[in-house]
Amino acid sequence: MTLPRVLFVTGKGGTGKSTVAAALAIALSRRRPTTLADLDRRLSAAAALGAVLEDSTTVKVTGSLDAVALTPRAELEAFIERIVPIRAISRRMLRSRTFGYVTAALPGLEAFLLLERLRIMAGDAALEDRYLVIDAPASGSTVELLSVSSGVKGIAPGGTLNRLADSVDSFLTDATRFGAIVTMTPEDLAVREALEITATMRERLGIVTVAAIMNCVPDLLFDTSELAALNSLGGHARLAVRRNAAHEQAALAAPRFAAAGIPTFSLPMMFTPAMGPAEVEKLGRVLDAELLDR
Amino acid sequence: MKPKAVQLKPSARPRHPAHPESLDLRSQSLVICLGPGGVGKTTISAALAVHAAVIGCAVDVMTVDPAPRLLDALGLGADSSEPVEVQLEGIAHARRGRGAGHARLRALRLDPKRTFDSIVARYALSDAARDTILENRIYRNLSGALAGVADYMAMEKLLELAANPLTDLLVLDTPPAAEALDFLDAPRRLLELLNSRAVSLLGAPAGLFRSRLRIVDIAARAVLAAFDRVTGLNLLSDIQSFVRSFDGMYEGFSARAARAQDKLRAPDTAIVIVTTAESSRIAQAREFIGALERAGLRVAAMVVNRVIAELPDAAELSSARIAPSLKRKLKRNLADYAALKTREEVSLSALRNSLPGGAVLMVAPDLGREPRTIADLAEIGRSLRPG
Repeated sequence: MTLPRVLFVTGKGGTGKSTVAAALAIALSRRRPTTLADLDRRLSAAAALGAVLEDSTTVKVTGSLDAVALTPRAELEAFIERIVPIRAISRRMLRSRTFGYVTAALPGLEAFLLLERLRIMAGDAALEDRYLVIDAPASGSTVELLSVSSGVKGIAPGGTLNRLADSVDSFLTDATRFGAIVTMTPEDLAVREALEITATMRERLGIVTVAAIMNCVPDLLFDTSELAALNSLGGHARLAVRRNAAHEQAALAAPRFAAAGIPTFSLPMMFTPAMGPAEVEKLGRVLDAELLDR
Repeated sequence: MKPKAVQLKPSARPRHPAHPESLDLRSQSLVICLGPGGVGKTTISAALAVHAAVIGCAVDVMTVDPAPRLLDALGLGADSSEPVEVQLEGIAHARRGRGAGHARLRALRLDPKRTFDSIVARYALSDAARDTILENRIYRNLSGALAGVADYMAMEKLLELAANPLTDLLVLDTPPAAEALDFLDAPRRLLELLNSRAVSLLGAPAGLFRSRLRIVDIAARAVLAAFDRVTGLNLLSDIQSFVRSFDGMYEGFSARAARAQDKLRAPDTAIVIVTTAESSRIAQAREFIGALERAGLRVAAMVVNRVIAELPDAAELSSARIAPSLKRKLKRNLADYAALKTREEVSLSALRNSLPGGAVLMVAPDLGREPRTIADLAEIGRSLRPG
């Protein structure tokens, strides 16, 4: 399937968002150079690939995959340095407590600058024909982040910020450039939250969700007659039922997303004693075959 | 070499034993659940509250999570910013004797904006001062989405609820946090903004108070003015008037923030860190512990949510009279979940090794289904066990 160059991966906390972002980046990087941008201070997406990052630095994960960490603080610093070209003053400024208070009082400024940075990175990605995969905040904070530019327009009716907010908005709502990917696990709450965030992004922000990814789906091991034969095996029966229930719950979600025009893809539950780069690569191969080859 | 166990005299006994058996909810008056997003903090808060009510306490539970999940589970509507009684029939009925008649559970959802407005109304010196604040651009944005304000307001509401003599225990669910102190430190940050002499001087005409300004303030002022011009925000005057409009109210805010800090450090307050056994969450939980310890706050318990329940015995399979193909599948299924259990055990032992003194590690086994009812929450509360 054809994907926009910028993919914004979000989902309920605990659904493996960072793992999915990392796996997706691996899959895309087999076709085209890819950058994985991590908005999580802990850089968990990059860590899932075994890469160690420092703030705002880029590391090479493979020949065609880079990972970069974006933090609001670093973006604020870059912005201040841009508008205050005298470095001695801008440095001093950033160290001052007063300035810290004032930026704290500027609602969403840091978040806004983060979006602006993503827009610039997207422009570069388009020029270089790269993919940009963003490990975004969990769905609870995503709307807050994505709607910050309209808030900025509200408090800054003219000037640089207002113009920037306009271009950020048109970038986010351009489905040829920007698309959301929402992650979930086979649990009702996670599915519900994924449906809610896609609806909110579409209706309130004009952002298109290109795919829903159901993570941690166990393969179907038992058929109904086998489950019925397990009555006398308490613990084993419960474990078998649990596995099948997760599988069935996953199957129930797809039609709900299809009704909203969103294709759903499944990633298998990795029944492994550790979850490391090798497992993430395996998930990447699944996405490569399921999502990209479609 | 391990030191020999020494019998301590009662007076020489440490205030907190090295490994308390479990968290005794009856001896707490406040339980604060902190943790990263997606670990089931809301569920654990509700489960602790339901359990405390079941064992005879009068409990209030407050969620500040914007998603009304807890209220869903508790069967309440989304607009419950005041405590609403939760029906415990069929759950607490077995309880007899002391406290049985007095036990109750109430739940509410924090509305940060409404709480902030009511605090401003309470402390404002006049109606005009109140309206100036409520209409200020900074205030309107501050009290809306800005992280930190919800946290501060939760503290405010907490003090209000804690003052109720009919409540034995208050359980507080907090917003998902990247840092442990995001929540606990919010009052201090907001107060620093309000009390910042430098901020109020930013708008003062040059020359005036100059002797009191440090060089960095002057630089900050010059750059902020440039910042204001370039960005088109015109914020300086708003910030100044915002801070000024809190003149006279600061004392009230400050006194309450100090009381909130005392409350956090009170011996009957328990800070509980909720996490899951995923290695990235455990790493985050360990950072939380470190940050809290550095801030002088004591972690009472770590709760690892959704651990895999006890696995069945493999030996049962060899004697079971079922088709060989089914037996093979069951063995594979068991091996699959045993692998996950191994992964989990690695995380748990890392956590055990970094457990602060006096803290108890507890695990909440996965129900195998999502908690939807009070009975489910009661079951989770009951099944919490030392990990």
